[in-house]
Amino acid sequence: MFNLRDWGADVWERSSRPIRVLIALGAIAIAASLPLLGGTFLNTPVADYGSVLVFPVAIFVIMALGLNIVIGKSGLLDLGYVAFFAIGAYTMGLLGTKTGLNSWEILPIGIAMAMFAGLILGVPALRLRGDYLAIITLGFGEIVRITALNLNSIGGANGIVGIPTPPTVFGLEYTFDNHRLYFWTFLIIILLTIWMIRRLSVRRAGRAWESIRQDEDAAELMGVPTFRYKIWAFVLGASVGGAAGVLYASKTLFISPDNFTLQVSILILACVVFGGMGNIWGVILGAIILGYLPDRIRFISDARLLVFGAVLVLMMNLRPDGILPRKKREKALPGKNQNE
Amino acid sequence: MSESILKLDNVTMQFGGVVALNDVTFEVRKQEILGLIGPNGAGKTTVFNVITGVYQITKGSITFNGKSISGIKRYRITKGGIARTFQNIRLWGDMTALENVITATDTHKKSGLLSGLFGLPVSRKEERRDKVRAQELLDFIGIGEYADRLAKNLPYGVQRRLEIARALGTNPKLLLLDEPAAGFNPAEKVELAKTIRKIRDAGYTVLLIEHDMSLVMGVSDRVVVIDFGQKIADDLPAKVQNDKRVIEAYLGVPDDAS
Amino acid sequence: MLANFQNQFASLTVGGLSLGFIYVLIALGYTMVYGVLRMINFANSEIFMYGTFASIVVIRDVFKFTQQSEPATGFRLIYILLFCLIGSMLMAGILSVFLELVAYRRLRNKGSNKLAPLISAIGMSIVLAEFMRILTDSRYVGSPRVMEKKVLGNFFGAELRLDNVIIVVAGLVLFIGLSQFVDKTRLGKAIRAVSMNEDAAKLMGVNLNFVVSGTFLVGGLMTGAAGFFYILKYENTSFNIGFELGIAAFTAAILGGIGNIKGAFYGGIALGLLETYASFFLGTQWKAVTVFLVLVVVLYFRPNGVFGEAITQTRA
Ligand SMILES: Nc1ncnc2c1ncn2[C@@H]1O[C@H](COP(=O)(O)OP(=O)(O)O)[C@@H](O)[C@H]1O
Ligand SMILES: [Mg+2]
Repeated sequence: MFNLRDWGADVWERSSRPIRVLIALGAIAIAASLPLLGGTFLNTPVADYGSVLVFPVAIFVIMALGLNIVIGKSGLLDLGYVAFFAIGAYTMGLLGTKTGLNSWEILPIGIAMAMFAGLILGVPALRLRGDYLAIITLGFGEIVRITALNLNSIGGANGIVGIPTPPTVFGLEYTFDNHRLYFWTFLIIILLTIWMIRRLSVRRAGRAWESIRQDEDAAELMGVPTFRYKIWAFVLGASVGGAAGVLYASKTLFISPDNFTLQVSILILACVVFGGMGNIWGVILGAIILGYLPDRIRFISDARLLVFGAVLVLMMNLRPDGILPRKKREKALPGKNQNE
Repeated sequence: MSESILKLDNVTMQFGGVVALNDVTFEVRKQEILGLIGPNGAGKTTVFNVITGVYQITKGSITFNGKSISGIKRYRITKGGIARTFQNIRLWGDMTALENVITATDTHKKSGLLSGLFGLPVSRKEERRDKVRAQELLDFIGIGEYADRLAKNLPYGVQRRLEIARALGTNPKLLLLDEPAAGFNPAEKVELAKTIRKIRDAGYTVLLIEHDMSLVMGVSDRVVVIDFGQKIADDLPAKVQNDKRVIEAYLGVPDDAS
Repeated sequence: MLANFQNQFASLTVGGLSLGFIYVLIALGYTMVYGVLRMINFANSEIFMYGTFASIVVIRDVFKFTQQSEPATGFRLIYILLFCLIGSMLMAGILSVFLELVAYRRLRNKGSNKLAPLISAIGMSIVLAEFMRILTDSRYVGSPRVMEKKVLGNFFGAELRLDNVIIVVAGLVLFIGLSQFVDKTRLGKAIRAVSMNEDAAKLMGVNLNFVVSGTFLVGGLMTGAAGFFYILKYENTSFNIGFELGIAAFTAAILGGIGNIKGAFYGGIALGLLETYASFFLGTQWKAVTVFLVLVVVLYFRPNGVFGEAITQTRA
């Protein structure tokens, strides 16, 4: 059967370096030209196509990539991923309105805050396994939201308004409706995240995560410091979520605890599961489809969560590896299979 | 007589009411092959589990190279030089054979996540070095041609041998083999015996659990026998074979049904 | 404030106990399934939520109560209460069995990876909650009052309100009934056998699928009863109450040691009381946070709960 994932990997592996560069540049060019397709059948009835591309699509892609490090690579079910998104967004909101710092200066701070939160949560939670981790992280996500809701010093239920847009770079102005510029900015973050994950995947960290996902006890007994690598997965995942939060806040310019419910965690989980846990391209595709379709098709947009819940159940039962599964293929070794 | 590398002193392991090991004392000496035998459920695997830190012993002490290893984290025990295989194969099935071994070699890498992320020279050098090393180990065990196959797709016998290669990947001083010949045919057993000797000759010390008497007796320098969690013999193979208590323990248990 | 607390202590305790019994019953749903399948049934919270709606449907549509109706009394009241209780239990029990068939059975028999059933459960939980949200237009649904909440008397300064007393007594009866069921009946014994050692139970000829369905049924019945008691006490419900109550009940199960029926009892009572006292001091908006903190602290320091089996120990 034709397998797109394996076919793509094959083409990539057989290509020489300059061809690879060309393929990558081509892909980036296609991605970058997406916002130029506005005004076509791609327009959505709910919101302007350009803005849908920025949120939810691009933000979903970033978060799904981050969550994929935790769930897809390391097999840790994190149901409170929205907390890191919220922490990034609130860092942006608070520092942006109360200090003179601009979005680019706040971005690393927001990432650091989210990573710190990942550490604080990870140290107790990652001693537990599977189910318990899921519940604890779910609780953490809710604690963050309820705290934001009840602390009037950070806006309480009203949230934070008047968050500044990013400052002009190279004469490009981040006005509220300059969706293209936002999209390209987010695309850079997406590319950086992809770079990070691919880099780590083929090295020690990637193998450690993979071994933990497949058999944690065996990993520990083969000398893998499992706890440390689980913490790393958590913290890196958190950093990506935090970055998404900062960007989101400096795009919407208004945030409130309502933006950070458990449902966001579930939506992102659905993107990862639908696309294919552990495979970057699958996850990206999943996030694009699940980010875009509910806005495109009215019927789904009302029952968005219902559909996403059903996606989780159906995918797990019928195609647990997602639409683009992780690598299953092995190199063919001519003439070496006789002694089986 | 060569000096000891691992010592169990009066080790007792209780699970609730079940006493899996009762006051067990023995030592493993450098560069020997020590056979560990006993009927099913005698507590052999439990010995491996307490040595590798899977369980915390109830009483007694375990020392490795003169240092106590009770209460030490499992991955640190491995890093300290003890590696094992599993009776029920526990490879990482979705990784290739080579990746399984490389993951084990990571134990001694200096480079961690950050140096990998930024592609520092130390990380790149270690990656290249250990890839070569892993392939060498596969070749050493005689399964080099399977390097790029996913572990779960490998034939059973190759999986058992890959378990050994992976354990060697952690660069141990002491290798614990838990029924490495289970399910092997006679020819494969002979082959395995050769491999185990080869491993010892390469400088490793081996503690071997095995059901097949001719294999254990043929390959071991000494044999320890446990029954119902207690040590009942500890001697040269020839002596153990004629020990009355050992014969009693095995009476009615047909040799090597599995 | 402290003096105030002393004044109210007895009344708070009674309220906490009745809340505690609601937790006990939901916790039984989690704990029984966990015992048999070693899996958290995430969607149990939604089973509970459907139980609350079943009660309202019975009250409104079977007994034709409206907001203006006179509360019932005497034998009619007992009859109505029993009917509602049974309605909720059946609804929840059947839904629970159905849930297992749709969301878990296939995965269980396939022996898929560990994340799959968990994710399927979360998905099912979302589907059930969202379906109810759309059905009720995201609104709270109030229940007409079926009985007057008379104060029956005073006990050490505590007002013994009729609804609280009913919940505590009926909860106790249900709990004892369940314990007897598990100890004495064939299905109950099979459930226990599978909880202790699945492989051995299978060797002894236990039909696993049957036992699992039975477990979901019994767990659902208990959870459904909690749904009715909730309506009796609070008189309204909505599509999203499952989440909060579910987490609390799960915490109760962990507190007592998950997989352990007695543990669910002690854990539920303890959490009901703790939550009620804590709300008095901190305000109800921090209730959920209190519960989560209890959960985290218990999982961190006593992952086995007070009575339960080890959940961090593994075999190699
Ligand atoms: N984690 C555990 N909990 C309870 N009993 C155990 C545990 N591990 C091993 N045992 C018991 O210890 C005894 C010895 O088992 P084991 O060491 O596996 O025997 P073998 O000699 O066949 O390898 C058995 O009775 C087994 O049931
Ligand atoms: Mg054994």
